[in-house]
Amino acid sequence: MSDPAALNNPEENFDNMSVADFEERLPDLVQSGQGKMTEDPRFTTFFEKNPDCAALVRDLEAIAEAARGLFEPAEDEEPSDDLWSKIVKELPGGPSGSPQQALSLSESAPLDEPDGVLE
Amino acid sequence: MSMMNLEGLPGMQTKPNPGLFKRNPPIAGEADAIERAKNGDPDAFSKLYALHKRRVYTLCLRMLGNVSEAEDMTQEAFLHLFRKLGSFRGESAFSTWLHRLTVNLVLMHLRKKGLNLVSLEETINPSEDDAPKRDFGSRDTQLAGSVDRVTLERAVSSLPPGYRMVFVLHDVEGFEHNEIATMLECSTGNSKSQLHKARLKLRELLRNPEQLPPLAPGKEGV
Repeated sequence: MSDPAALNNPEENFDNMSVADFEERLPDLVQSGQGKMTEDPRFTTFFEKNPDCAALVRDLEAIAEAARGLFEPAEDEEPSDDLWSKIVKELPGGPSGSPQQALSLSESAPLDEPDGVLE
Repeated sequence: MSMMNLEGLPGMQTKPNPGLFKRNPPIAGEADAIERAKNGDPDAFSKLYALHKRRVYTLCLRMLGNVSEAEDMTQEAFLHLFRKLGSFRGESAFSTWLHRLTVNLVLMHLRKKGLNLVSLEETINPSEDDAPKRDFGSRDTQLAGSVDRVTLERAVSSLPPGYRMVFVLHDVEGFEHNEIATMLECSTGNSKSQLHKARLKLRELLRNPEQLPPLAPGKEGV
């Protein structure tokens, strides 16, 4: 059971894994890239025998899933309105180093929000 | 860590990776804005700011836990972007590249402050009080299906800095363990271990949400 490659073996049998072994291997099991453990039939019997382990894994999966939802900022989460003007003040010049371009930048307000995400 | 050539760093993206674009799909008008900004078009750079300011700011805020510092680092990130945009070759999603640039700036900032939170020892060995308890708990307080955004944000902000850093980078930002290991100068195994402990600690915190501290002022809407 100590072979990490076993995690990627669809024939691997976890039915008789001990709770101690489960606990030791859990970091690899939940991060094996093989999808959710709770949806992996190789763990069905083990979870039936050890409902607390099943509850733990469900919770960890729920946390990871909820975390992915944090990637997109909340509607009202943004820097203060004057941050752009502070940035422009600090710019040494345009991307090509032209002072005129820096001046242009200072006169241009940030454009609107994203047009959208391509499908 | 040098910020001069982010795409060439060990463990960093050196070839196009379709997986990155699943997480960071191209934004309409972004590619055009990048090219125009590279050629000195000021409106194009302001468009890039508008497109990415919220994500960059939120990333800084989560990593730093401080509104004022997050604003400063957001400013620093866009100034750095302005200087380095010419080196973006489109081999990874632009937002991934920008976020990596931001993460490295924040980490450099923290190291300059002399904080231990990204040192190997502190990251890997939080104090005993901060470590998750080795307790599976009972099923009657399980979380599945009940992790709301605000409570999770509060719990994440309560994590020890080392745990929080790895959790935000992996579970929120979508970086791989090998990338995180490079950024934090630790091993891939350590990154995996930290992530697991972070999730266990979060579970512990989320099972007792009434004990979570309120979010810092200005962060209520995160």
